[in-house]
Amino acid sequence: MRYLARRIVHSTLLLFAVSIFSFAILQLAPGDFFTPIRLNPQISAHTVAALRSQYGLDKPLPIRYEHWLRSVWRGDFGTSFAYGTPVAPLLAVRARNTLLLTGTSLLLAWLLAIPFGIWSAARRGKWSDRAGGILTSSLLTVPDLVLFLALLLVAVRTGWFPTGGMMSAGFEDLGVAGKVKNLAIHLFLPALGLVLATLPPLVRHVRSAMIEVLEAPFVRAARAHGIPERRVLLCYALPVAANPLITLFGYSIAAMLSASLLVEMVLSWPGVGPLLVDAILAKDVYVVVGAVMLSSVFLVAGNLVADALLFATDPRIRMD
Amino acid sequence: MRRIRLAKACVVLIVAISCAYAGARALPSHASDDRMIADGTPGHAGGRLVIALRSEPKTLNPALALDEPSRDVIRCLTADLIHINRESLKTEPALAKSWSVSRDGRQYTLQLRRGLRFSDGEPFNADDVIFSFQIYLDEKVDSSQRDLLIVGGKPITVVKVNDFAVRFELAQPYAAAERLFDSIAILPRHLLESGYRDGTFSRAWSLSMPPSQFAGLGPFRLKEYIAGQRVVLERNPYYWKADRAGNQLPYLNEIVFLFVPSEDAQVIRFQSGDTDVLSRFSADNFAVLQKQQATKGYHLDDLGAGLEYNFLFFNMNDLAAQGPPEIAKKQVWFQDLRFRQAVSAAIDRAGIVRLVYNGRATPLWDQVTPGNKLWLDEKIAHPARSLEQARQLLESAGFSWKSDGALVDPHGNSVEFSILTSSSNAQRTKIATIVQDDLSQLGMTVQVVPLEFHALVDRLTNTYNYEAAVMGLVSGDADPTSEMNVWLSSGETHLWHPRQEKPATAWESEMDRLMQQQLVTLDYAKRKNLYDRVQEIVAEDLPIICLVSPNILVGAANRVGNFRPAILVPYALWNIEQLYVQ
Repeated sequence: MRYLARRIVHSTLLLFAVSIFSFAILQLAPGDFFTPIRLNPQISAHTVAALRSQYGLDKPLPIRYEHWLRSVWRGDFGTSFAYGTPVAPLLAVRARNTLLLTGTSLLLAWLLAIPFGIWSAARRGKWSDRAGGILTSSLLTVPDLVLFLALLLVAVRTGWFPTGGMMSAGFEDLGVAGKVKNLAIHLFLPALGLVLATLPPLVRHVRSAMIEVLEAPFVRAARAHGIPERRVLLCYALPVAANPLITLFGYSIAAMLSASLLVEMVLSWPGVGPLLVDAILAKDVYVVVGAVMLSSVFLVAGNLVADALLFATDPRIRMD
Repeated sequence: MRRIRLAKACVVLIVAISCAYAGARALPSHASDDRMIADGTPGHAGGRLVIALRSEPKTLNPALALDEPSRDVIRCLTADLIHINRESLKTEPALAKSWSVSRDGRQYTLQLRRGLRFSDGEPFNADDVIFSFQIYLDEKVDSSQRDLLIVGGKPITVVKVNDFAVRFELAQPYAAAERLFDSIAILPRHLLESGYRDGTFSRAWSLSMPPSQFAGLGPFRLKEYIAGQRVVLERNPYYWKADRAGNQLPYLNEIVFLFVPSEDAQVIRFQSGDTDVLSRFSADNFAVLQKQQATKGYHLDDLGAGLEYNFLFFNMNDLAAQGPPEIAKKQVWFQDLRFRQAVSAAIDRAGIVRLVYNGRATPLWDQVTPGNKLWLDEKIAHPARSLEQARQLLESAGFSWKSDGALVDPHGNSVEFSILTSSSNAQRTKIATIVQDDLSQLGMTVQVVPLEFHALVDRLTNTYNYEAAVMGLVSGDADPTSEMNVWLSSGETHLWHPRQEKPATAWESEMDRLMQQQLVTLDYAKRKNLYDRVQEIVAEDLPIICLVSPNILVGAANRVGNFRPAILVPYALWNIEQLYVQ
């Protein structure tokens, strides 16, 4: 229990550090949200100054940070300059869409990676293992952007899939089955992109973790006892090999979040990605900080869950 | 329990029926002469139009919206008193069916249309107009329209004459007074007044509010907003325009604005038939779309030059006091007219049009583009590129060339400077690169520095830490009054030397006088003469070296009827009430 408490305190401190850094770095760049309005001949400098002071941009950085912390406490996460509304509800709706996409992809990626990894570990050195190795390494070398653009090209050329969005224009008029189908067909390409982008390293790790365990004396002993191979793989070797994979689970969330940003932009998925890019370009600072914090929370929480799982499965950690 | 529910259902039903009845009754009252007849060809009612926006609208509050997507949606939901017809670029009656001007040009009396209703069925009258202007003029609201409504240093005043007439009083005669009303959406007092009194107006009409709290006088009303995905508008049954056949407008049942985050993605969505109308895209994408024009069921239009002018300018701020000394040293060149003339003569404008815009742009020698037919000065010369002339000008200014061809000034310093552009605008970066190449043929060493837009604007308007820049401005209106801040030496967007206390040069002082004079002259021909002279000064004294105006490019699915795009925003959607689908 003390282990978990310590990890939670660490995570909270980490989140604080992330917020301070992202706040400070965003201020380093010259100009602010209202700078481009200065180029509008029909708006006076007086109005720009009034807008800046209305949003507190004329105050020094530490005071703005303190204001922001207070608004976090209220659950607002600051006010967006562009939308004029609190950041939290803006992010919440889009985070739901991002979670739908990344959650589906994460699940699919692991459901594919584990059997595929075990399968190629069991066939180590055979041609099928090598073919799998070539496939995963070549997928690994394709940059994510190229992969997503290729998927977009497929959508444009074939017309089988929508080229973007999450729902068709007449979504409300559809029945429940129609809605699910419509959502699924929009989800297919972005999710496929994310799975293809994150799958190769997962497969490689599952395979190498399994191979390490399969060489251990207890596996040989199990085989010598005549226990069927499938039982050896799944019931004896896999639980032992799970340890590094649980740690990897935390990292795969990070990989998924960064890849989802890109896939959302390329395939116009209405998640946090487009909002974040829009906000970065416009210097809508609190939206950027909010989105960064959201990603950090996901990441930290994922690692925390991974740590908790390790704690539950590995007695050696409990001993510490 | 059940009985109560039944009673409730009955009440709801009765209310619904009476509302429907009121709605039905509202329509015949339109039949009076106060309904406006639109000039397009009569079309079919019904259908849905899908349009992509580059980013989400941020608010539907007309007084607070600053970004183009918000304004695009707001334009469909609201109406103004006097409107600028995007095709003729002249004013026409809107909510005001007629108006009269006092002899001194300082009082405008507007007669409002009678029997009009907001999109929620509530009647419209002069109180809504008074309330709207109260909001726009309130300093605490910080609306971007407020600056437009300050004439001669004083805010316009509005007086109610009767329920259907209002009088506007100006501190001085104002040439473009009628055009002011174009951007001022009339707001429903019955929905917004309580929030305004409570001081919560700045939060009113944010997109998270339910559609029932919005109402306007535009052709459409809000149906739903799905964050991150789309805004759906539905037909306003109380709209005040009809077609020539007497059919109530608008024709469309629904408009769907999808949020598609990049230009390329928008082009793809249009190409695959997901969206019906496309505007604000580059010449490169125009070329891509053109190939499939015949087979894919859409057509493209090149409307010629719009109101955007791109230009090169040098830092002519007074940097002696505080500016970086190395820039101050180079300002000796920049302030020499012959140097600027040589640069202008050496730039290949036709090359920019060909290489940057695939020919879909118009070369410029002053700030008024050929698209602005009301104000274009035909007499401005369009000299072809001449390196020979450029060399002569530099020689006469005391510049010379070293043996390796590098240009040096009279003190022996080699001529080197950098041009800043916005990194997010690929066209302007390409323009700067072509200018770099053109000027290298004169022996100048030029670096192109693309900067993030905020950083660029900060340098141009705040720290003045730059040598030269390629920028573009888009006139908000065809009328020169929208450009006051650019040409007045005290203006904020007098980019090469903003906020001067008194004009630094004789030609800036002449320009100040001309701009002030045209502002208060009511006769168009006289104003035209004054503004022609401003254009001549720009072409001769080269405060900015005008280069090119990109053409307005639009596309629409073939099934969209009455599609008549124009060069003024919102290029393709200005007659949205008349668009129909076949």
